[in-house]
Amino acid sequence: MRKGILEFCILSIIRRGEAYPSDIVEEMKTANLHILEGTLYPLLTRLKNADMLTYRWVESNSGPPRKYFSLTEKGQSFFKELEATWNELANAVHTLANKTESIPDSTNQNPSF
Amino acid sequence: MKKIININFHGRVVPIEETAYDILKQYVESLRKYFDKEEGRDEIINDIESRFAELFSERLKKDATCITDEDVNAIILSMGRPEDFEREEMAPNGGSSSAGSSSKGSYQQTSQESYAAEEPRRLYRSENDRLLGGVCGGLANYLRIDPAIMRILFALVTFGGFGSGLLIYLILWMVLPSKPLAVNMRKRLYRNPDNRVLGGVASGLAAYFHIDVWIPRLIFAFPLLVSLITSIFHNIWFEFDPRPVFITGGFGFTLFLAYIILWIVLPEAVTASEKLEMRGEKVDLESIKNKVKSGMEEFKTKADQFSSEVKDRVQHIGYEAKQAGQAFAAEAIPAARRTGSGIGHAIGVLFKAFFLFIAGSIAFALIMVLIGLLMSGIGTPPFRSYLLTGFWENMLAWLSLVLFLGVPAIALLTWLIRRIIGIRSRNHYLGYVFGSLWVIGLFSFLTMVGMMVSNFRTMASVEDETSLVQPASGKLIVKVAPEKVSYYGSDFFGFNWNEDGPFYSLREDSVMMTTVRVNLVKSPDSAYHMNLVKFSRASNPALAKEMASRIKFFTRQFDSILYLPRGFAITPEEKFRNQQVLVIVEVPVGKRIMVDGSVEDYHFFSIDVNRRHRGWNVNWNDEWDGSLQWSSNVEYVMTSSGLERTERRAERDGDKSGEEPKSSEGYRYKGHPDSSVQKNKNRKISESSGGEGMIHEAVMIRNEKNMVSTGADTNRETDNDQGAGMLVGLLSLLEKF
Repeated sequence: MRKGILEFCILSIIRRGEAYPSDIVEEMKTANLHILEGTLYPLLTRLKNADMLTYRWVESNSGPPRKYFSLTEKGQSFFKELEATWNELANAVHTLANKTESIPDSTNQNPSF
Repeated sequence: MKKIININFHGRVVPIEETAYDILKQYVESLRKYFDKEEGRDEIINDIESRFAELFSERLKKDATCITDEDVNAIILSMGRPEDFEREEMAPNGGSSSAGSSSKGSYQQTSQESYAAEEPRRLYRSENDRLLGGVCGGLANYLRIDPAIMRILFALVTFGGFGSGLLIYLILWMVLPSKPLAVNMRKRLYRNPDNRVLGGVASGLAAYFHIDVWIPRLIFAFPLLVSLITSIFHNIWFEFDPRPVFITGGFGFTLFLAYIILWIVLPEAVTASEKLEMRGEKVDLESIKNKVKSGMEEFKTKADQFSSEVKDRVQHIGYEAKQAGQAFAAEAIPAARRTGSGIGHAIGVLFKAFFLFIAGSIAFALIMVLIGLLMSGIGTPPFRSYLLTGFWENMLAWLSLVLFLGVPAIALLTWLIRRIIGIRSRNHYLGYVFGSLWVIGLFSFLTMVGMMVSNFRTMASVEDETSLVQPASGKLIVKVAPEKVSYYGSDFFGFNWNEDGPFYSLREDSVMMTTVRVNLVKSPDSAYHMNLVKFSRASNPALAKEMASRIKFFTRQFDSILYLPRGFAITPEEKFRNQQVLVIVEVPVGKRIMVDGSVEDYHFFSIDVNRRHRGWNVNWNDEWDGSLQWSSNVEYVMTSSGLERTERRAERDGDKSGEEPKSSEGYRYKGHPDSSVQKNKNRKISESSGGEGMIHEAVMIRNEKNMVSTGADTNRETDNDQGAGMLVGLLSLLEKF
């Protein structure tokens, strides 16, 4: 999966509220996007280091405390940008994919005499 | 059956199977390597680990008593392995980076940087794969070869190039920067700890090259086997040579050295992934699973074999030593062996190798000496026919030779070969057969020794009084007859028996004994007398007496010179029973006597097996015991108080025109109060009857010979009593049985 898209997906999940990595994986799974949990952690860390995300520790009753991620303001704006880019791209792709008219045949421009 | 260990994992105690722990550790390690260049590496790994911890506690909360391999593998599967990340993340992403705003671009930039493609290759010292300074590891990483090969190369250069390799190593150590480097090999040489005789080197090589394990083992052991076999045969049919040929032989030594180097250089494959690397299999989930599974099965079969293995004593001892060594290593170097335990490991291996080398050499030499001794003592015709009587003794001698010594040798060979080829049979019939044969051999050896000793149990003497013609000059010279007896030069045992031994000629049909002693006593009347007392030992007094009477010892007299024969012959029918001849010369008071230096060539010794009565077991005549001390080549005169040197007497009488100028040191006679013991020749028979006394005397004889150097026959080799000493020592050893 392309990098930008995966980040976009993650951010769009976190946008809705604090999220725990395995929740994100579950969420994506239900949306029929299968990713490895292992790829999520480095992405989250990178986003956090780029000040897009922040987290807080939440005590868990089954294991060590969990990290719950949420968006920062910078993350919000980054998400907006990503969204815009995505929409652009999606529109472009959609437009291209849905065009049914056939491209003018260039071979016919020069009919044999 | 699996070992479960408790680990402290993110603040929780987690019971986990050891193999599962290995897999987990390996996985985390692979993550660490993968995210090596990532800025937030520790955080990422921490997060993943805490996720593991969470899943573990969920698992434990349900029903599991511990975390199994399957649990770990399942989690890893959902986490994904670094290879999978690569597939997902390293996909071409040019599109997204081209289409993006400034802030997105900056983010992409950072992430791009972190994934920077292979940086230009530089030579480093490896921080994580090292024995000493990580030079070899770094070089291997740079050249993309197995670090082990690099290390072997260095070892060869060091050993072969007079230390130049070491110099290069030190320079590189100083010059190169250190850096943690990823191992880029799928296949590595390891030592295999699961299947080993010594260090698992051969087994590791076999795994690396995918060949049967007995092939490298045979190659390493070949010189040893060959030399073992040849030296045994050599000892049986030729002469006795206790050198461990396998060490001295150039080829064998090279292989021995190669083994030691490999032992030091190669790491031991401990974890499942290392075992896979050893075989060159791709390290992924499936193969580890297979490996662990097959390991379990192997363990099962191993457990079955365990009972049979315990009986393998030698191996067991070796194992214990290894355990001890490992325990020591574990104590001394608690850090993981990858992080700088290299020196300790090398020293440990060197110690082990040294110990094995010494122990092996000693064992080998001992066996060879034993075989050599028995071969020469029993197997060789001359000795055998003189020591052994009757069918039974001969039979027992051969039995003990073949069973007592041959069986262990053959058993050792069999064990070695079987160990190398890897046969391990459940039944121990072979062992029982060897054992019982050896016990039979032991008993026959003891019986034989007992029978031989009984042949020396009693002693008897026969006395012949020979009248002497009274010399006109009033002086008697005692001499050993110049060569009349034919002698058979035989270079038996590598030293010259003619000069050194108590018997100077050993043949099938006769042996010349020189166990003769000359005693000087005061004559009761005014004439010279000579008594010949012949001794022999045997199992009973009558036989001993008969043996003694058979000794032929003929003296001749030419006016003042009394010639004694060089020795007396005994035949195989008579056997060797420690026959001795005592020549007692009675000197009348006022007459002179001189014993020639040639008499020193007699080698008198006694064997006494009867511990209850120390000393001679015969009717001892006091008169014989009262022998006076004398030195050869010195003229004495008999006085009422004993012997006195002629020139002393002349001095005392004021007659200064003494005969020859003699060195007066080292000469004392009986009764002189300030006599120093070492310089004295103690001719008291009673003191020299035991084996100990004999050696003592031999030493004294030598001392005296060194001092009395004015003898007429200086061409004689006189300082060579080792032969007698050795044999006497041997016989006194025999006596202690």
